[in-house]
Amino acid sequence: MTIPVSNEAAAAAITAAGASRVRASRARGRLRQSLALYLPAGLLVLIIAACFLYPLVGNVSPPVGGSVLNAGLPAGTPGFPLGTDASGNDIFSRLLYGGRVSLEVGAATQIIGIVLGGLIGMIAGYSRGILAAVLMRVLDVLIAFPSLVLALAIAEGLGPGELHVIWALSFYSVPAFARLARAATLRLRDQNFMLAASMSGTPRWRIVLFHLAPNLLPQQLTFALLGAGVAIIQEGALSFLSLGVPPPGASWGNMIASGMQTMSVRPSLVLLPCLALLITVAALNLMGDALRARWSAR
Amino acid sequence: MTVQSTNRTTTANPEAALEPPPGTRPGFQGPGLLRSSLLRLAVRRLLTAIPVVWGVTFLGFTVLNLLPGDAAQALLGADATPQEVAKLSRQLHLDQPFFTRYWNWLTGALSGHLGSSLGSGQQVTTILAQRLPVTFELLLFAFVISLLIAIPVATFAARKPGGIFDSITTFIALVGLSIAPYILALLLILLFAVNLSWFPALGWTPISGGLGSNLRSLTLPALSLGFPIGCFYTRLLRADVLEQLEEDYVTTAHAKGLAGWRVLMRHATPNSLFGLITVVALNVGTLLGGTVIVEQIFGLPGIGEELFQAIQTRDFPVVEGIVVVFAVLVVVIGLLADLLYAVLDPRIRYDNPGQ
Repeated sequence: MTIPVSNEAAAAAITAAGASRVRASRARGRLRQSLALYLPAGLLVLIIAACFLYPLVGNVSPPVGGSVLNAGLPAGTPGFPLGTDASGNDIFSRLLYGGRVSLEVGAATQIIGIVLGGLIGMIAGYSRGILAAVLMRVLDVLIAFPSLVLALAIAEGLGPGELHVIWALSFYSVPAFARLARAATLRLRDQNFMLAASMSGTPRWRIVLFHLAPNLLPQQLTFALLGAGVAIIQEGALSFLSLGVPPPGASWGNMIASGMQTMSVRPSLVLLPCLALLITVAALNLMGDALRARWSAR
Repeated sequence: MTVQSTNRTTTANPEAALEPPPGTRPGFQGPGLLRSSLLRLAVRRLLTAIPVVWGVTFLGFTVLNLLPGDAAQALLGADATPQEVAKLSRQLHLDQPFFTRYWNWLTGALSGHLGSSLGSGQQVTTILAQRLPVTFELLLFAFVISLLIAIPVATFAARKPGGIFDSITTFIALVGLSIAPYILALLLILLFAVNLSWFPALGWTPISGGLGSNLRSLTLPALSLGFPIGCFYTRLLRADVLEQLEEDYVTTAHAKGLAGWRVLMRHATPNSLFGLITVVALNVGTLLGGTVIVEQIFGLPGIGEELFQAIQTRDFPVVEGIVVVFAVLVVVIGLLADLLYAVLDPRIRYDNPGQ
């Protein structure tokens, strides 16, 4: 570094250096923040595309109805990139179709949670009366009720199947969203824009749907990303306990359960679906976390 | 005692922090008033807890009742004649109307009789007494593991936020909390039981068989429950310690000339720790749910395993008994956390008629 000749020049040089350092560190921070959001988001898009689109365009064997003659083929066999399981089904294909189940369950339970739970929470937070009190008590009961018991009972009662798993797990997501929506509604209820809307004679249902709901949405969407991860884990648990998608249908949970029997001989049968589940849930969590950081910074 | 930031109340009870309670005079905080406000808090929380627990029993009864197939059918098997099933239903009082059965159960439960198992005829209270200790030990072990992970990692990470250690542990914690307990359980079995044979893969040794082998048989299950939760706590604790470091009392401690690590370990982290109390209380329900599948995988004779079997055999009294125990645990621990909180932080005034 050159030696500055005068005090003014020194001061100028120091400020300039400091400013550029601050700028550089801010840019690094921004880059880091975008990477934290876009890397998991890209991974998620990749997983969704692989599960829903690739079987349509790529050359993928069917996930069920494999021949016993092909059972237990190692990875790299032509036509079976990851080998076959004990019933001769292509593992790669089962991973993709199992992923469909996980992603569908994750998305459906969160959509039901946002719509139903959001509505219940907004009503409970906005109306001050007996209805709100009753709604809150019902939510308290649902939250205190051991959720897995409810899910087990429903899945066991309705019989195994993807749709039933979605119903069962929605009992889990709806109260969570409702609680979140209620807390946010209580915060927003007396803000000026809400008072303005109500004083200008907007009907209450309009205030709730068009003034309140849009303000809750970012928080609910962030929460939904994290909730989808939880739902995918729970779906895996139900399938693992043979209350989810019944075999021969593919789901990561039932792949793990069936692979467990031969775990000491062929660990890959357990490891692959475990890995798929872990990566998907981790991507959801990382993205949810990055979104939360971004939205709370504003 | 050092104080902690008031925004802690938002995690405990979102509404409590918003408005000052009516009827409390600011500035007057004698010990007598504290005690009476604590008492009022305890009474109010108990009063709201009772309808919740009642609701849980009713919901449990309703859900079980809606399940197709009944215990008589499940006990007799598929090739029982309808007459036999009807006879057994009468014996087990399953043919009575829904509300009669619920009333009988409820009055029994209030006097401490949870009925007896339809399958084995054992008293439900006996079954609970046998199985709960195993689950409690597992939960306690898992909880200790999670704290052993969270406290040191979070403290060191908060020392230099954005540093290498912080970046790495933040990422590991985020991925770690995405691991389902059952996945971790299988990975641990594969690594430590199948390949290295350090720990048993299955089964449980009671404490009477030696504390060492008892803990050994619980290590893998507790680790699979405790690690994801530990990652979760690490994240919360790190954020909280960072927040604490902004507080005035930390500046004071620094100004007094205390070393950085000492400020962290003696002032910031302990204060953050009791912020964790609420989260732990909220976690109890999830943890209890997690025990079902972990006990199933490791073949532990705990409450979760019993629950899974009882649901499948439609053993109403057993399921209902377990559901009540779970709900009471969740409610009581939540209540204790709130009370502990009010004791630890005298500034918190709990008074929210809205709840």
